[in-house]
Amino acid sequence: MLLVLSEEHKEHLGFLTQVDSAVVGEFGRIAVEFLRKGTNPKIYEGAARKLNVSSDVIQHGVEGLTYLLTEGSKLMISEIDFQDSVLVLGFSEELNKLLLQLYLDNRKEIRSILGELAPKLPSYHSLEWRLDVQLASRSLRQQIKPAVTIKLHLDQNGDQTTKILQTDPATLLHLIQQLEQALGEMKTNHCRRIVRNIK
Amino acid sequence: MRFRFCGDLDCPDWVLAEISTLAKISSVKLKLICGQVLKDLQGEGIDYEKILKLTSDAKFESGDVKATIAVLSFILSSAAKHSVDSDSLSSELQQLGLPKEHATGLCRSYEEKQSPLQDSLRTRSLRLNRLDSVSWRVDHTLSSSELQQVNEPLVHLKFTVRDGDRGVTEPFAMTVSAEKFRVLLAELRQAHAMMKTLS
Repeated sequence: MLLVLSEEHKEHLGFLTQVDSAVVGEFGRIAVEFLRKGTNPKIYEGAARKLNVSSDVIQHGVEGLTYLLTEGSKLMISEIDFQDSVLVLGFSEELNKLLLQLYLDNRKEIRSILGELAPKLPSYHSLEWRLDVQLASRSLRQQIKPAVTIKLHLDQNGDQTTKILQTDPATLLHLIQQLEQALGEMKTNHCRRIVRNIK
Repeated sequence: MRFRFCGDLDCPDWVLAEISTLAKISSVKLKLICGQVLKDLQGEGIDYEKILKLTSDAKFESGDVKATIAVLSFILSSAAKHSVDSDSLSSELQQLGLPKEHATGLCRSYEEKQSPLQDSLRTRSLRLNRLDSVSWRVDHTLSSSELQQVNEPLVHLKFTVRDGDRGVTEPFAMTVSAEKFRVLLAELRQAHAMMKTLS
C-alpha cells in the first residue's frame, strides 16, 4: 500500500533536499521527540537561525516528516512500500535510506503512542462494599432486610468518578451468576476459534 | 485447600509463590519488616529505606522487596479482616511452607497489633456521608406580611455533612415549625432507643 502525499506535503518535504543528511537526521530526531512529548516552537527558532532560513520553513519540514512517519506507522506499510512512496519526492539515494531507517527504528514506538489516542470508556478501578441489615424504619418496626451497598470506582483518562449502588443479596447472586457465565463464554468453541485466528 | 485467613477460600497463587521469598530473610528481620507493614496498614506511612536496609543482607532486588511488602500486607490485613487468632494464623502459614520461627515471629507482631489494626480497618469501611456537626437557633416570629400577630417559635437547624468521597463538608440548613419539630424529635428518640437496645 503506497502513501499518497499531497502537493503541499511534497513542497514542505522539498526543503530537506537543501540541507545535508546530518541535519535531516537531526530533524528526524526532533520529529520523534515531538511525537513523544509535544511540540516546542523554540527549537524551530534555533534551527532557523543556524540554517539561515525562516522558522516557518523549518516547522513545515519537521511537520512534514512527522506526518510521513505517523501515516506510515498508522498503516504499517512495508519497507518496499515506504521506499516507493518516498521515491515520488525525488530525493537522493542517501536521503531515502535515511528516511527508511528513521521509519523502521521508530515505527513500534509511534504505533504505541497512536494506540493511546483511541477513545476510552471509563474503566474499572476498584470496588468497596458493605453489608447492612435494615431492622426498622419510621413506618415499620421488627424488620429484617439485608442490603449490599457498593461503591464502584471508575477511571477515565486519569479522572476518577464513583458510582454508588445498592442491591439485595438475591440480585447480587444473580449478578455474580451472570458475570460468571460471561467469563465462561471465553471457554466455548466459538470464542476459542476466534482467539486462535487473531493470534 | 481452604484457609481461614483467606476467608475460607484457596490461598492466591502469588502468595504461595512469595512465601519462599519470605523464608530467605532471617526471622528477626521479618518481624521488624512486619512492624513497618503494620504501621502502613494503620495509615501511618511506610519507611521504605528501612525495609531496603533490612532486606539488603538477603540481596533482594527491588521487585523482591515490593513482593515481600505486598505479601505481608495481604497476610496481615486478610487475617485481621477475618478475625483470625494468631495461633491459627501461625499453623496455616506453616502449612503453606513458612518456617516455624518466621511464622511465630510474624504472628507475635500480628497479635500485638490486631485490635488497633481492626479498628483502623473499621474506620476505613465504606461510609457514604457523615454528619459532622449540628447547630440550631430558636426564633420567635412576631408578625408577618400575612398576619399581624403571629407569635410562634421557629427552629433553625444547620447540619454540616461530610461527603465520603471528597472529604469536603457541606452545610445543609432548614427551618422547622414547633409541631413538626416535636414530631421529628419524637421519631428520632424512638430510633435512638432502638439503637441503644442493639449496641
